[in-house]
Amino acid sequence: MFSTIKRLQDSFSAASTFALVLCCLIFTSSYVQLLHDRCFDLPSTISDISLDTSLKFSRIHGSLNKKPKENARLTSFSLQTDLSPLFNLNTKQVFVYLTAEYHSVNRKDNSISNKLIFWDKIIISKDDATLNLTNLKSKYSVYDIEKSFNHKNATVRLEWNIQPWVGPLIYGSTTGLETITFI
Amino acid sequence: MLSVNRQQISQLLQFALIVSSAFMIWKTLSVITNSESPIVVVLSGSMEPAFQRGDILFLNNRQTFVDAGDIVVYQIKHREIPIVHRVMNQHSNLQKLKQFLLTKGDNNPVNDLSLYNRNQLYLNREKDILGVVKGYLPKVGYLTIFITENAYFKYTLLGLMAISSILQRDE
Repeated sequence: MFSTIKRLQDSFSAASTFALVLCCLIFTSSYVQLLHDRCFDLPSTISDISLDTSLKFSRIHGSLNKKPKENARLTSFSLQTDLSPLFNLNTKQVFVYLTAEYHSVNRKDNSISNKLIFWDKIIISKDDATLNLTNLKSKYSVYDIEKSFNHKNATVRLEWNIQPWVGPLIYGSTTGLETITFI
Repeated sequence: MLSVNRQQISQLLQFALIVSSAFMIWKTLSVITNSESPIVVVLSGSMEPAFQRGDILFLNNRQTFVDAGDIVVYQIKHREIPIVHRVMNQHSNLQKLKQFLLTKGDNNPVNDLSLYNRNQLYLNREKDILGVVKGYLPKVGYLTIFITENAYFKYTLLGLMAISSILQRDE
């Protein structure tokens, strides 16, 4: 009635059930803690943004067949925020990123919603989660799907993504807003 | 003699039941998530330290648009291996419900343009994206990597399973 294989099977299934319950408990408690610390509207300040655009001709800058493509980069900006509440027992890393969001209309009169990432940073420990950075430059040279940005206005925001040790990925954004114009 | 046959048939049926129910669970998940492979195993280190080799990712493909910052699994036309990378830029046509995406691996210095096909500047949300990463389970998928990369291990494991399912008796 009790063979070795049966015993192995039973202990394996008990262990996996236990592990699953433990994972659910870890996720729920860490999520409750995020809500309790009001992590979904953490304050941030984005300031001193200066932007520069230039024409690029290589594929890595979004140009095809050497046609000119307008690229934008931030030549300087400052960032103040405290992301340490995002670190709890289920946080493996926090990915923070600076986005620019804008709307446009294409040739066929369809409205297009766009979002680009200028800068990002991977934070692994709570000690590095207080950001007080000045005179930063954008990491990426960004470009529109059309050949130029056409002097549009964009909203700049600092957003984050928690990579957990186990469970669902969590996304949110800080409250600081800033407007830029692609000159 | 007859009773032995009966037992072997019942064991065979039990084995078939396990295989078919696993297949059905997989296909049901596929229908729910609208993705042809709702669970994937990470094969490369291009998203480290978020994802390591052998981690398991749960995907969903129901949403119309993907956001910048989301991590997606995509497969370029005529390429075999799907890639897990983060969306950097997104452009969504709100009338036609079409979207174009540019991706990058967190651990890579530059964007994925060199991985796309020649003359391709963007991924197509509808055609190229297999799903958006929603959940994460560490390390558990390492077994499948071990099995696919070690032919001997694979056949030994299959052989052992077959022998044990034939020899095992229900008392």
